[in-house]
Amino acid sequence: MLLAVLIANSEGNILVERFNGVPAEERLHWRSFLVKLGADNLKGVKNEELLVASHKSVFIVYTVLGDVSIFVVGKDEYDELALAEAIFVITSALKDVCGKPPTERLFLDKYGKICLCLDEIVWKGLLENTDKERIKRLVRLKPPTEF
Amino acid sequence: MAQPLVKKDDDRDDEEYSPFLGIEKGAVLQEARVFNDPQLDARRCSQVITKLLYLLNQGETFTKIEATEVFFSVTKLFQSRDIGLRRMVYLMIKELSPSADEVIIVTSSLMKDMNSRTDMYRANAIRVLCRITDGTLLTQIERYLKQAIVDKNPVVASAALVSGIHLLQTNPEIVKRWSNEVQEAVQSRAALVQFHALALLHQIRQNDRLAVSKLVTSLTKGTVRSPLAQCLLIRYTSQVIRESGVNTQTGDRPFYDYLEGCLRHKAEMVIFEAARAITVLSGVTTRELTPAITVLQLFLSSSKPVLRFAAVRTLNKVAMTHPMAVTNCNIDMESLISDQNRSIATLAITTLLKTGNESSVDRLMKQITNFMSDIADEFKIVVVDAIRSLCLKFPLKYRSLMNFLSNILREEGGFEYKKAIVDSIVILIRDIPDAKESGLLHLCEFIEDCEFTYLSTQILHFLGNEGPKTSDPSKYIRYIYNRVILENATVRASAVSTLAKFGAMIDSLKPRIFILLRRCLFDNDDEVRDRATLYLNTLGGDGSVVETDKDVKEFLFGSLDIPLTNMETSLKNYIQNPSEEPFDINSVPKEVKSQPLVEKKAPGKKPTGLGAPPTGPTSTADTYERILSSIPEFTSFGKLFKSSAPVELTEAETEYAVNVVKHIFDRHVVFQYNCTNTIPEQLLENVFVIVDASEAEEFSEVGSKPLKSLPYDTPGQTFVAFEKPEGVPAVGKFSNMLRFTVKEVDTSTGEAEDDGVEDEYQLEDFEVVAADYMVKVGVSNFRNAWESMGPDFERIDEYGLGPRESLAEAVSTVINLLGMQPCEGTEVVPSNSRSHSCLLSGLYIGNMKVLVRLSFGIDASKEVAMKLAVRSEDENVSDTIHDIVASG
Repeated sequence: MLLAVLIANSEGNILVERFNGVPAEERLHWRSFLVKLGADNLKGVKNEELLVASHKSVFIVYTVLGDVSIFVVGKDEYDELALAEAIFVITSALKDVCGKPPTERLFLDKYGKICLCLDEIVWKGLLENTDKERIKRLVRLKPPTEF
Repeated sequence: MAQPLVKKDDDRDDEEYSPFLGIEKGAVLQEARVFNDPQLDARRCSQVITKLLYLLNQGETFTKIEATEVFFSVTKLFQSRDIGLRRMVYLMIKELSPSADEVIIVTSSLMKDMNSRTDMYRANAIRVLCRITDGTLLTQIERYLKQAIVDKNPVVASAALVSGIHLLQTNPEIVKRWSNEVQEAVQSRAALVQFHALALLHQIRQNDRLAVSKLVTSLTKGTVRSPLAQCLLIRYTSQVIRESGVNTQTGDRPFYDYLEGCLRHKAEMVIFEAARAITVLSGVTTRELTPAITVLQLFLSSSKPVLRFAAVRTLNKVAMTHPMAVTNCNIDMESLISDQNRSIATLAITTLLKTGNESSVDRLMKQITNFMSDIADEFKIVVVDAIRSLCLKFPLKYRSLMNFLSNILREEGGFEYKKAIVDSIVILIRDIPDAKESGLLHLCEFIEDCEFTYLSTQILHFLGNEGPKTSDPSKYIRYIYNRVILENATVRASAVSTLAKFGAMIDSLKPRIFILLRRCLFDNDDEVRDRATLYLNTLGGDGSVVETDKDVKEFLFGSLDIPLTNMETSLKNYIQNPSEEPFDINSVPKEVKSQPLVEKKAPGKKPTGLGAPPTGPTSTADTYERILSSIPEFTSFGKLFKSSAPVELTEAETEYAVNVVKHIFDRHVVFQYNCTNTIPEQLLENVFVIVDASEAEEFSEVGSKPLKSLPYDTPGQTFVAFEKPEGVPAVGKFSNMLRFTVKEVDTSTGEAEDDGVEDEYQLEDFEVVAADYMVKVGVSNFRNAWESMGPDFERIDEYGLGPRESLAEAVSTVINLLGMQPCEGTEVVPSNSRSHSCLLSGLYIGNMKVLVRLSFGIDASKEVAMKLAVRSEDENVSDTIHDIVASG
């Protein structure tokens, strides 16, 4: 299960937070844990360089893209490698929507589109689409090109 | 709060602030009224939906009324033909997840979209419908979903398949009917469709071994189009291998070649999955393991942290079972200690701790000391656990390891970390007698400056039990009494109890203890005063030196043999019904109420350890002892010698799950059958096991205790007791039949019908074997123990073990046969070695210490010869050990 996708700005404020199968009372813990993890480790990291952490049986893969930091959390079959795949899809889609690694402002300007992309990528904790070209078409309700 | 958005159309790049600056829920809900306009402005509506999404993604919640209102307004947007808006509407409905009574308003629009000629409407409508649907609606749309699974458009097919995966949790019987379509989708040329179909098909058929095996066989020969699907296939293959075992004739393992081939796949994800699958094969041989270890080793020096992490994590697991296989990677691993990523560094350290040999311990400890200062507590705990295991493996190194633990105990750290260190020291004291005195002193020093009440009380309790047995108990008194002077009431009360224990055990200290206890009578806390008064009275506080009688010691040291929950209930009842009679502790029932399984599962569900700290572990032996002593029929059996690990008597996923724990007493054995009823529609009553002991001649049944009731998902126990000749390691085979009365349960009300039907259920057989009479007890220094045992009852003989798979396999077979504790890491056989010595220690029934020296040799034709030397406290026991090996 892909437990969470969280996107924060450089100050650690949450921009997008999507949880799957995480009880409401634990979400706050996760939010602060991830933000702290980012604050401790993401300084000076290059765009899209993946960092990894694990806590008991849960894995976290995170990175920076422009002004935003992206975290994905998973367990069981969503181990560090599957999460790396998921975060790769997310960063590609973000770059595609924003045209470049986004500033915070640009990210918020494209907020609606970004939500649609995330909706195509992760559906209730399962990875659904992995190809950015296809995602780009799907959010505009266009069928995939290979079809 | 639309102001920032109004400005948005100006020069965008100059705007520094957020378009959502000052966003406020009430205002956005007002704005959402625009959805009701007769002339819809699609762009404006999309903007408002974006704001609503922003609020929801920030963790904002809508009240029921707010959500309903927004939902109804959003449904109006189906009238718009704007494609972008329609996509937003689909997302918004999913986010709002309307309640069952509201769904109806949107179903017709969605059903229309689901049959639309526009493919993308279909895909999205399926996803939304499946998100909000319930069972009845699902039956209505089932036909369309089945069509969608085999739709030409991969997005439609994927939408239906992923919906199926989610729906399988809530409506399994419906989704299982789709297996033909899903089977067809597995053959799809679209990579993602195949991936989703494979996942769903496996979930549908996971309990049908044959079907899974067929699926794996056909796909491993065919084409799998995406790395994700390939990973799934490897996982399922691994499951099939686990269930089928090795081909005994050829020694080949089915599908091994497939796994090995995947090690050369171009996707790293697949390589890792295959390597992991190989490392967890049961009884994996060095030959099978080597290619997997080699690829993992290459990844250790990858530039990508994720790959380094994945590699070191896998090798860390391998090191637990096959430390020698990982030693080749030690050099790469050592360079990872300085990895910037602390997770990787911690895993590298703990792996090295597992694979290192005795001579490398000191060097490693030096490296770790530098490393500890810059990692977080959660990593430190992992390191502490690894050091504890290392110390148990190399007891001779206890000095440097214990020193390390005491040093880190003095440094800064949170509760969990300190608790891990204290727990480790306690375990080392228990298992390594030589480490006891220094360990206790380290703990004493720690409580002088300990900020955690829980830890102080735990240590005081432990000190009370162990301190009096040391060579100079008086030196601990100062530390304990300091707590009475300096600490909070809880710790003071604990310290008083500890003082009393010293008084009870050591007569010469008694007068001094009484003086200290009398001072506690003036404490300002009533619990402390009460305890002091109680102990002074029980110990005979008049100052005369008399021997403390057995009852008092039992009172001070014995555990409360009543479950605390029962005690609590009884006390509550007593308070509710006031009475003249004093409360009688004997009126508290001793029977342990079974815990509903749901509660037990709860911690497992927690994806994080960030919540409350877990409660301290109670040893299973204590729990068993408590359960057995609460059953009057078994109280006369004396002290429990050993309880085996549970042996499963049913396969996984069956109607009733039963396992058995063998409790060994001097003249009796008790079988504890742990039963779980996994059928919600059934209540089982009067559950018991009929045991056929015709193949266990020396055993005769003397009693049993049925289980009154076994509701769904609430485990319960039933017991059967047998008598056997005293001190004899009687062995035999037992066949079992579960009998019960089954009653139907109405799952909506939870009520069971009055009438039930008698039924029975065949369980698997199990055996009582010689190893059941041996407790694994390690010794810190085998050589000393061997010398001090002396050669009086030594028995030596030689055995031919015939052709074996490997030396390691022969060693582990003999260890398992005897059920003894391997000492000093001698259970690990270096690869390619032609001879090996193994040291074992244990406690045989009758509390007889036994030490064993095994020397193995293997020749070119894989014939293994073994020399067995036994020393014990009784010649019969030494002979018995030889008998066990000779007959095994």
